[in-house]
Amino acid sequence: MSPSFREGAREGFRVFLPLSVGLIPWALVTGMTMGGVGFTPLQAMGMNVIVFAGTAQLGTLPLIAAGSPVWLIVVTAFVLNLRFIIFSAALARGFHGVPRAERWLAGHLLTDGVFATCLEKMLSHEDPRWRLGYYLAPSLWSWLLWQVFAFCGVMAAGSIPKSWSLEFMATIALIVLLVPMARLRPMLLAALTGGTLAVLLRGMPLRLGVIVAIIGGIAAGFAAERWQGAAR
Amino acid sequence: MTYDWTLWIVFILIGLATTLPRGSFIILGERASLPEGLQKALRYAPAAALAAIVVPDVVLVGGVVEVLNPKLAAAFAAVLATQVSRNPWLPFIVGMGVLLGLRHFL
Repeated sequence: MSPSFREGAREGFRVFLPLSVGLIPWALVTGMTMGGVGFTPLQAMGMNVIVFAGTAQLGTLPLIAAGSPVWLIVVTAFVLNLRFIIFSAALARGFHGVPRAERWLAGHLLTDGVFATCLEKMLSHEDPRWRLGYYLAPSLWSWLLWQVFAFCGVMAAGSIPKSWSLEFMATIALIVLLVPMARLRPMLLAALTGGTLAVLLRGMPLRLGVIVAIIGGIAAGFAAERWQGAAR
Repeated sequence: MTYDWTLWIVFILIGLATTLPRGSFIILGERASLPEGLQKALRYAPAAALAAIVVPDVVLVGGVVEVLNPKLAAAFAAVLATQVSRNPWLPFIVGMGVLLGLRHFL
C-alpha cells in the first residue's frame, strides 16, 4: 500500500463514517427478511456475500419465497440495479490508471452511499492511488457493516415465531425506498404505471407481466419527463 | 419452507445480475459511454420495478384484488411513517404493528 493510497483511504473513511450508520437498519431488516423466508444462516450469509446489494436482495426475496421462475428473479435483480450503470458511468473517469482486478472489486462494492460520497473527489483528485484508497475504504467499511448486521438480523429472525410474517419487512423496506423517489412527478407516474400494470397483467404466463409492467413504468416516466420539459 | 442446493445457483445468478451493472463502466473505462437518452430512461427503472413488486403484494389476496386487507393498510401506515418522521425504524414498527394488529383483531 502506497502512502497516497493510505492517505486517500483515511480521508474517505473520515467522510463516510457518519453516513454509514444509515446502513445498519437496512442490513438488520435484510437479515431478518432472509431468516423470515426460511433461509438457514448459511444460505442467508451466502446470499449476503455473493449478492451484496440491499435493494436487489429485498426485491428478490418475495419472489424466491413465492417460488417464482429463476429468470424472473434474475431479471428483477438486474432491473433493480440498472441505476448503477449510470453511477458506474459517472465514476468511470475516476478509475483511470487503476488496475483491472481492483476495478472489478470496486464495481462489486459500489453502493448508493459510496457513490454519493465519493463522486466529487473521484473526478477531481489527480493521484489514482489516492482515489482508489478514497473509494475502497468506505466501500469495504460498508461491506463489513452489511455482513455483521445482516448476520445479527438473521439470528434475531430465528427466535421470532413464523406467525409474525417477518417477510413483510421486505415489502416495507421497498416502500421506504420507493416513497422518496416518487416525490418527482415523472417518477411517481413511472411507479403508478409499473404497479398498476403488474396487478392488471398478473395473469400473463411465466409472470411476464412484471417485466412488461416495469418497461411500461419506465416508458411512462420517460414520456412524462419529455412532456414536462416541452410544457415549460 | 426449505430450499435445496439450486438456491446457490440462484444466488450466483443474482450476484452476476447485480455486479455487472455496477462494474460496467468502471471496468470498461473510457472505451465506452452511455447515450444520454438511455441514461434518462434508466433513472425510472428502480421506481417502476419497486412498484411492480410492492403493489401486487399489497393489493392481491389469493390472486384477487382486495382493497380492504391488512397488508394494504400496513403499507399505507408505512408510507405515512416515512412522511411524518425521519426515524429509519418507524416505518417497520408501524407497518408490522398494523399488519399484526389487524390480523389479530379481524
